[in-house]
Amino acid sequence: MIFTSTHIALAVVAGSFPVSAVSLWPVPASLTTGSTILRLAPDFTIALSVSNAPRDLVDAVIRTESHIWNDKHRLMVVDRGASHSAAIAKAPLLPQLNVQLVVRQPVLSIAEETSKEMEKRSEEYTLTVPADGRAALLVANSTLGLLRGLTTFEQLWYTLGPDIYTPSAPVTIHDKPAFPYRGFMLDTARNFYSVEDLKRTFDAMSMVKMSAFHWHVADSQSFPVEVEGYPEIAQKGAYDQELIYTVTDIKDLTAYAAERGIDIIMEIDTPGHSGAIGKAYPEHVACPESRPWGGYAAEPPSGQLRIASPDTVDFTSKMFTALASKMPGKYFSTGGDEVNINCYNQDEATQQQLKATNKTLDEALNTFVQATHTALARQGKIPVVWEEMALSYKVNLFYQTIVMIWISSQSAASVLEKGHRIVQAPSDYLYLDCGAGMWLGTSIGGSWCDPFKSWQRVYDYKPLAGIPEKHKSKVLGGQTCLWSEQSDPANLDSIVWPRTAALAEVLWSPENLLHNSSSALARLHDIRYRMVQRGIRAIALQPHWCAVRPGLCDAGA
Amino acid sequence: MVRISSSLVLVVALVSAPCRAVWPNPKAMTTGSTFLQLSPSFTINLAVTSPPSDLTAAVARTKGFLATDKLERLVPGRGSADSAKITAAKQLARLTVSLASGSAVTSISSEAVKALGSRVEAYNLTVPADGSDATLKAQTSLGLLRGLTTFEQLWHTLGNATYTTSAPIAIQDAPAFPYRGFMLDTARNFFPVADIKRTLDAMSWVKMNVLHWHVVDSQSFPLVIPGFEELSTQGAYSPTKIYSVADVQDITSYAAARGIDVIVEIDSPGHMSVISKSHPTLMACVEATPWSNFAAEPPAGQLRMASDDAISFANAMFKAAASIVPSKYFSTGGDEVNSNCYTQDTVTQAALKSKNLTFEQALSNFVSGTHKSLATAGKTPVVWEEMVLDHTITLPNTTVVLVWQSSTNAAAVAKKGFQLVHAPSDFFYLDCGAGEWLGNDIGNSWCDPFKTWQKMYSFQPFQNLTTAQHSLVLGGQNLLWAEQSDASNLDSIAWPRSAASAEIFWTGANQPNGVPRNSTEALPRLHDIRFRMVQRGVKAIALQPEYCALQPSKCT
Repeated sequence: MIFTSTHIALAVVAGSFPVSAVSLWPVPASLTTGSTILRLAPDFTIALSVSNAPRDLVDAVIRTESHIWNDKHRLMVVDRGASHSAAIAKAPLLPQLNVQLVVRQPVLSIAEETSKEMEKRSEEYTLTVPADGRAALLVANSTLGLLRGLTTFEQLWYTLGPDIYTPSAPVTIHDKPAFPYRGFMLDTARNFYSVEDLKRTFDAMSMVKMSAFHWHVADSQSFPVEVEGYPEIAQKGAYDQELIYTVTDIKDLTAYAAERGIDIIMEIDTPGHSGAIGKAYPEHVACPESRPWGGYAAEPPSGQLRIASPDTVDFTSKMFTALASKMPGKYFSTGGDEVNINCYNQDEATQQQLKATNKTLDEALNTFVQATHTALARQGKIPVVWEEMALSYKVNLFYQTIVMIWISSQSAASVLEKGHRIVQAPSDYLYLDCGAGMWLGTSIGGSWCDPFKSWQRVYDYKPLAGIPEKHKSKVLGGQTCLWSEQSDPANLDSIVWPRTAALAEVLWSPENLLHNSSSALARLHDIRYRMVQRGIRAIALQPHWCAVRPGLCDAGA
Repeated sequence: MVRISSSLVLVVALVSAPCRAVWPNPKAMTTGSTFLQLSPSFTINLAVTSPPSDLTAAVARTKGFLATDKLERLVPGRGSADSAKITAAKQLARLTVSLASGSAVTSISSEAVKALGSRVEAYNLTVPADGSDATLKAQTSLGLLRGLTTFEQLWHTLGNATYTTSAPIAIQDAPAFPYRGFMLDTARNFFPVADIKRTLDAMSWVKMNVLHWHVVDSQSFPLVIPGFEELSTQGAYSPTKIYSVADVQDITSYAAARGIDVIVEIDSPGHMSVISKSHPTLMACVEATPWSNFAAEPPAGQLRMASDDAISFANAMFKAAASIVPSKYFSTGGDEVNSNCYTQDTVTQAALKSKNLTFEQALSNFVSGTHKSLATAGKTPVVWEEMVLDHTITLPNTTVVLVWQSSTNAAAVAKKGFQLVHAPSDFFYLDCGAGEWLGNDIGNSWCDPFKTWQKMYSFQPFQNLTTAQHSLVLGGQNLLWAEQSDASNLDSIAWPRSAASAEIFWTGANQPNGVPRNSTEALPRLHDIRFRMVQRGVKAIALQPEYCALQPSKCT
C-alpha cells in the first residue's frame, strides 16, 4: 500500500472547542478533523480482522482498549470539558474500530517487524473515524503500522464523567514517520535501573511512537549485564549481585520492547569506558583506577581494554558474540568514544605488545575494532559506534556501520562525508543530563554541557540542518541521551519526560508541521498529562493555569 | 559520556570515619572505633512520666526506622568485609530517653510552634561501646525528637545486623539558627496532602523546622478559608485540588509533631489575580495583556489596595486565615508589586485621588492594616524583602523579612534592623536552571544556573554583616517555585539539595571544630542521608555514580 502523505490539510476546528482539542503527539503526517462530538459506545469493541493474528498484536489491541477506558484524561481547557456535558451526552456512539491488515504473507508479529533493519520496517497506517456512528477503520500493511495506528487512536479520546468522547470527529489520518530511528539512550552503568523502570520507559516511548532504545548498559563504574560464558564479569563488575540484568531479564526486556515497536540496541562501550571489566579480568584492562583520573579518562574511574593484546581482542570479540546472540535486533554498539591515549602510553603491557607486533596505536585500534565488528557481523549484527571511531582515528569501519553524533551538532556532516549512516545525538540539543551542575564532589562549577536542554530547545532541533542534500537519506534519525551520573530511578521519569517526546515528534512528523513551540505546547501538555495518568512521572512544563489556556503564557502574550 | 573540560585540582580527600553519617553535623560529637550492634530485643525506654502522644509516636517511628531502613554502609563491599567484627560486636539492648530533671513535660507540637528563638531543640546523646544503655536527654520533647533523629542515623545494616562502627559515641547538639526552612509553592501547580507530608518527613530527618507554605498565587487559590470559601471554590484548579480546613489542620499537626512550624503565606497585594474569579471588583488589571506590563508572570492581577472594600476584605481574610493555623507567624508576601497595574487602573487612581494619597502611602496603609489584623490574631508578620527595601512602609522591627532577590540584599535588610531569613535566589532557589517555562521561549530560566548542592553548601550566613547584625539572622530556607514542578518531580528537585541548607543553618557558619565547611567532608555524609531517604521512600536524586557514592575520594 502506498500512502500519499505529502498533501497536508490542517484541521480547522469549528465550534466552541479550541484547537487544542486535537492533541495528537507526534502530529500525524496528514490529519483532517471535524468538530462533531462522538462518544464511545458502552459496548465499544476493537475488531481485529487479521487471520492468525500474532499474539503481540492481540495484546496491543487489549492495551488500547484498556487505555481508552482507563486513561481518565480530561480535555485540556479551563473547565476540562464540563460545559459540553449536554452535547457529549447526546453525541453519536462509535460502536467499533475495525483493524485490518493489507496482507503480505506471512503475517509477522510486531516484534518481528521491529527487529528488521530500520529501512525495511513499515510503520505507516491510515485511520478514519466517521462522525455519524459508523465503525472506525484502521488499516496498515504491517502489524507494526497497526500498533502505531492504535497508539494514535488512543489519543483521540477524553473523559467526562462516565463518557469517553472525542470533540473532533470525523477524523482522517494518513501517517508514517519521517525518520526510522527515533530513540532514547539510557546509561545503566553509572547508576542502576530496575527492569520495571526500563519497562515503564518503554511504555512511555511507545506512547509517542519511538522506535529505538539505545542501552548503554555497562561502563567503567559498573558492568551490570550477565554475559553467558563469562558470568564473573557481572559478578565482580556490577555494583551488587542484585543489580544485574540477567540473560532472562534481557529476554524479558527485548520482548517487551519489541512488542511495543521498540528495537533495543545494546552498547558495550570499548575500548574505553570499560574499566569495570578489570574487576574480573585485570589482565585485559590498562590503567585501572589510575590517579589522577584526569590523566587517564574523561571521568573517574579510568580503565580501558588492552587493544594491542591478542588475548584481549579475542576475549572482547567473544564477549560481543555472547551478548549479540541474545539480542533480537539487527544492531549492536561497540561504543568507541573518549579513548584515552595516555592510558595506553603509560601501560607497559600495551607498549610491549605494540612493539612486539610493530604496530602503532591507531593500527592496534583498527585491528581491535575490526575484530569486534567481525564478531558482530557473524551474529548478523550491524555495528554502531560513537563518532570518534569515524573521525578521530584511522579505523577502517565497514561502510554499513552506523555512527552516532554526540560531541556537537556540527560533527554530522564530516561523518556523512565518509559514507556512513548516522544517528543524531548531539549533546548541545539532546543530552538530558546537562545543566544540573558538576557532579564531582568538590566542584561548584556547571555541567560540561550547560545549559539544561529545555523542551523548547529539543523541539527546535533540526536533524537535517547543514546536511547536504545528497547525504540526507543517511540520517536515520536521532535520540535523546540520559547519562546517569546524576540520575537513577528516583528521577528517571522526571528528567526524561516530556522532553523526550519533543524529539519523538521532530523525528516522526513532517518538517513543515514542526518547530513552532507555541502551537506545539498545547499538544505536549496533553500527552504529558496523559503520561501522568498512566503512572509516568513526567514533569509539569508550566503552571496548570497555562496548561489549560494555550498561548496565554507565551512570552509577549 | 561526559567531557570534563576544566583542569581540576586533585585533592587527596580526608576520609572521614565511615560512620560519620550524621546529617546535619552535630555541634559536638566524639566517636570511637568499636563495633556495636543493636540487640534483637533492643528497646527504647521512654523514661518520661505521662509522655505526650507525639513523643510516644516519635519513639515508635524511630523504632520503625531502625528496623526498616536496611541501609548498608556506603563503602565498597557495603560493610561485608566487617562481617566477623559485626557478628562478634557487643549488643546494645536499650536507649533510655528522658527529660532533664525539673523540665516541664510538654508536647513536641507545642514547642515546635513557639516563637523563633524560644524553642529548645538541644539534646545530649551517648552510646557506650560496652553494650550498656545508651542515653538521650533533653530539656524538651522537641529536643528528644532531634536526638532520636540523630540516633537513627548512627546505624547501618549488614544481613540481619544493625550496627555502628564507631562506638562509643557522645553528642552534645543544638542548632545554630532557629529558622531552617523549606518553601513550597502550591499555587502554580497543586501538591496533594500526601506529597506535603512526605516532604515534612524528609525535612524532619535533617532537622528542618519551618515549612513556608506559599499556598496561593495568581494562578490558583487552593486554600479554604472559613467565611471566604468562594476564593477556593472559584479559584482552585479543581474541586479536588483544594486544601480544606481539615487538610490544613492535618498538615500543621503532622508537621508540628515532627518539630516543624508551618508558616502560611497569602501573597498580597500582588500575585492575587485569581481572587478576581469570586471578587472581580476588588481586583486591578485582571489577566491584562501583554502580561509583562502588569505582572512578573502571567496572569496579571493585584488587589486594589487603595480601595476601602479591598482593604476590608484583605483584613478580614487574613484574620480568618490566621485562625486556622497554630503558628505564631503568617506571611503577607509583598513581592513584585507592579506599579503600572495600579497606574492603569482607574478605580485605584480614583481612590488615591479621593483619599489624597500617593501610591506608596496607600501601600503603607494597606500593609499596616493587614499586619494589624494579623497582630490581633496573635501572629507576627513575615514579608518579602521589597516591603522594606523598595517601598516606604513603616513596619515594626519584629517583622521577619525574607531575602530573595540576591544574597547581597541581606546586608541592606539588616541595616534597617529587621530580622531576616536567607532565601536568596542565587543560592537556594531549587527551580532555577530548568529553562524558561514560557511556551515559545528557548531561553534559560531567569535565575540560571541550576543551584547545585555544592553551591548551596557554600553559602555564608554572615557574609557582609557586622557582628552586631548576626543576631538578626534567623536562618534560611530552600524554595521551590512550582511553575515547572508538581508531585511528579517534587522529591527529585528538593532532595537531597535541601539538606545542604539544613546543615548550614543547624550546624552554623562553620563546622563544629571551627573550620569552614567543605564539600569534601560533607559529601560522604550527604550520600548517606540521600540513600537513607531513598530507603524511606523519598525519591531523592543520585548525586554521583554509585561507584563514587561508595568511595567519594575517587571522584574529586
